[in-house]
Amino acid sequence: MDYSSLLILAVEEGEASSAELLLPAWPELVAGIIAFAIVYFFVWRWVWPNMSKTMEARQAAIAGEVTAAEKAKEEAESLVSDYKARLADAKTEGNSIVEEARQTAEQMRTDIIAKAEADAEQIRAKAREDAAGEKARALADAKSQVGSISVDLAEKIVGESLDAQAHQDLINRYLSDLEKL
Amino acid sequence: MDVILAFSCNPQEQPLCIPDSILELFELPVLFGSVNRTMVYIILAALVVVAALYFAYRKPRVVPTKFGLAVESMVDFVRNDIALGVIGPGGEKYGPYLLSLFMFILVGNFFGLTPFINFPIGSRMAIPGFLALVTYVIFVFVGFKKQGLAYLGETLWPPGVPVALRPLIGVIELVSIFIVRPFSLAVRLFANLVAGHTMLALLLGSGVYFVWTAANGDISFLKGFVVGPLWFVFGMAIFLLEILVLTLQAYIFTLLSAVYIESSLNPAH
Repeated sequence: MDYSSLLILAVEEGEASSAELLLPAWPELVAGIIAFAIVYFFVWRWVWPNMSKTMEARQAAIAGEVTAAEKAKEEAESLVSDYKARLADAKTEGNSIVEEARQTAEQMRTDIIAKAEADAEQIRAKAREDAAGEKARALADAKSQVGSISVDLAEKIVGESLDAQAHQDLINRYLSDLEKL
Repeated sequence: MDVILAFSCNPQEQPLCIPDSILELFELPVLFGSVNRTMVYIILAALVVVAALYFAYRKPRVVPTKFGLAVESMVDFVRNDIALGVIGPGGEKYGPYLLSLFMFILVGNFFGLTPFINFPIGSRMAIPGFLALVTYVIFVFVGFKKQGLAYLGETLWPPGVPVALRPLIGVIELVSIFIVRPFSLAVRLFANLVAGHTMLALLLGSGVYFVWTAANGDISFLKGFVVGPLWFVFGMAIFLLEILVLTLQAYIFTLLSAVYIESSLNPAH
């Protein structure tokens, strides 16, 4: 049998009875009502409430995560500021230690110099004192010698005749005595 | 071939039978009493929808499974884009109905492409007819409930219509909203499914028939083994197109239901 004629036949007969297609078959309508009722009841009573539950669970989870993240962030921030403060403290402390050491060193330097100067001054003063003492003693010695020499001389002058030649000799001797001293 | 065309003859003599009438493509064999295979598929579609939703929402998961995510995205789409998007804040109330509508039609449509079923249940007028009737009852009921008798006036004579035109507009609106609307809603889905199913049956069936007759020596080798596979390839292309059409029709039916409900709730436009 020729295929194309079969096809045409099929279409023609289909057209003849196609109105039947547009009419619902009662048993199928009943099945459809039951089937859709099952679906609707299930969606209405079960899916919709469960969908809200799922959304609520998600909302709670997200909110919880956000809160936890915020908390963690705050903790981290406080930790960072804490570390920063500690770091600043350590820096200040280090600086003050260095400064203190510098000051101590400076102080020591000043002290040493002052002490050295004082010592030197003391030594100088003592030396001056000693020198002055020596000088005074020498002067005193000289004075006493001059006195005794003068007395000697006077004795000699008085003990001998007073002529010019004698005076002159006396003076010369005195002077030579002086030179011998 | 029973698998592809969902109708059978004696497979020992022929791989498929040419139907006497197009109706045969849509009248599935009776199983027992007045229960035919279509009715089984209708109930099966409901069970598939229930099972899919059950497994997706069995327990409130923070991180959904892959399957759950797929179902959830469909549910979210119907809820947010159709129920809330079209109807507005009051749309939540109609969410369950619209979701049931979408899922049931979608699964029923995809039965047309499901191996071993190969029959879209919406191609039987009972299904789109019943669903369109439910939408009709809902939008008319909501209209009267929300606006009382003013609903009729607002609907038949939209604001701004000159008095002289009122009888004409009234008749047009009456016919278009209360008679054509449910009918067009039902027929749009029904006709798309009938056309798709017929196309697939014809193209894939032709492919098999050409190859088979050529193998029997009834037609030439060239016709049978070159033209036959071409029919089949064309059929597969239509198969892919049908995926789009079936999804789109489920969406359109649901969307229009939402639009009709919305127009009853807010008569201003």
